Amino acid sequence: MTATATGKGVNSVQREPRIRTDVVIVGAGPVGLYGAYCAGFRGLRTVVVDALAEPGGQISALYPEKEVRDVAGIPRERGRGLVSALLEQASTYGPELLLGCRVLRLDRAADGTPVVGLCDGTEIEAGAVVLTAGIGTFTPRPLPGGQEWEGRGLRYFVPDPAGHRGERIVIAGGGDSAVDWAHALAPVAHSVVLVHRRDRFRAHAANVTALAGTGVEVLTGTEIVALEGDDRLRTVTLRTRGEPDRVTEVDTVIAALGFVSDLGPLAEWGLELRGRAVLVDQRMRTTVPRVYAAGDLADHEGKVRLMSVGFGEVATAVGNAAVELDPARTLFPGHSTDEQA
Amino acid sequence: MAFVIGVECIDVLDRSCMDVCPVDCIYTGLRKNYINPDECIDCSACLSVCPVDAVYPESKADTEERRVFVSDSADFFREPLPGRDRPLGNPGGSMGIGDIGVDTAVVAQFPASGAPGPEAARDRDPA
Repeated sequence: MTATATGKGVNSVQREPRIRTDVVIVGAGPVGLYGAYCAGFRGLRTVVVDALAEPGGQISALYPEKEVRDVAGIPRERGRGLVSALLEQASTYGPELLLGCRVLRLDRAADGTPVVGLCDGTEIEAGAVVLTAGIGTFTPRPLPGGQEWEGRGLRYFVPDPAGHRGERIVIAGGGDSAVDWAHALAPVAHSVVLVHRRDRFRAHAANVTALAGTGVEVLTGTEIVALEGDDRLRTVTLRTRGEPDRVTEVDTVIAALGFVSDLGPLAEWGLELRGRAVLVDQRMRTTVPRVYAAGDLADHEGKVRLMSVGFGEVATAVGNAAVELDPARTLFPGHSTDEQA
Repeated sequence: MAFVIGVECIDVLDRSCMDVCPVDCIYTGLRKNYINPDECIDCSACLSVCPVDAVYPESKADTEERRVFVSDSADFFREPLPGRDRPLGNPGGSMGIGDIGVDTAVVAQFPASGAPGPEAARDRDPA
């Protein structure tokens, strides 16, 4: 969605796209999705943004196959089933879902309306912002000493294995992503070395065993201790316990070291924080005007950090936002059964 | 609530838990890992990767020994460790600080168990 110059001369510069909406919800986890339903029910135009490419937040990222048993009225449901039901419910009123978009900035329009800036340049001008960002944004765990080589031989994802044809590749990691990428790259690459600093892989055992015969060299108890090059990465130094260091020529290093999450840009928005959480009042308002928070991200006295609590909090946040946007509205949204009467 | 690492970790120190913790709240002492109860978000990612089943939720501390490790985990961060003046506190992630290199008094007094002793554990993964 980045602006592209299409015509000639100075007048051809396009403005970045700006979306106008009533409510923007930051975080498409369970609480954000339910918030989209609540906002839609109140007739509010709603945009939901999430850094991950799929909805569901922590459920999708951490436990899609586990059974959730503490949501009222749903005795048991697998994580991914719950997400898909929440998505169906959220879709009732047609919110706009912007997935794979990191939220970066919170600015203000001339009249004080919040404007949320995304990493692709999109700006969302919204009557109210509801933060349901849970524990923040998941980002790949950085390879120590790797920062300066990012984009110059070091990468954290392999979107297209065929793009690495003929390359000498070192993959670092012990989970399924590392092993899956070793499998995917073995047939096209010149060589693949899989290094894991622990003695034991976390990846599915059969997935690891199946590496035998693929030509992938597997080194456990091994770390990448140095990365060197010029305009791009050229060599890595591998250190295996009890052996002399080995310097290996590489074209690409893939770091599949799992994910860490943090509040990221939200921490710079002037919100009053308590550790990783954002302080809210009884209306779920943060200390920043027209910005609400709900779910794991929100903190208040007596907080119980459960999904079911988050559902109530986001209903409260959306209701109060609706009144703030238009004081003629009532706080109580009405019952979902009313229109069927 | 938080997850807790119990006695099974002592002198094993596999550290797979550290690779999967999304908030990087697992810290290495000398012979054992410790989960920071204030930084833990209860996601349970560490539970399933531990090769010796050392991890349990605080709510499942149903034996005296397990209860000891609930308070010991908190003490690792809230009380000054042996030889230190100040508590470790909540550093906000173990990635940047490396091994702490010292255990609580409770863990330190555990006799070296079986195979890899504290020396081996230290050599296992140079910080």
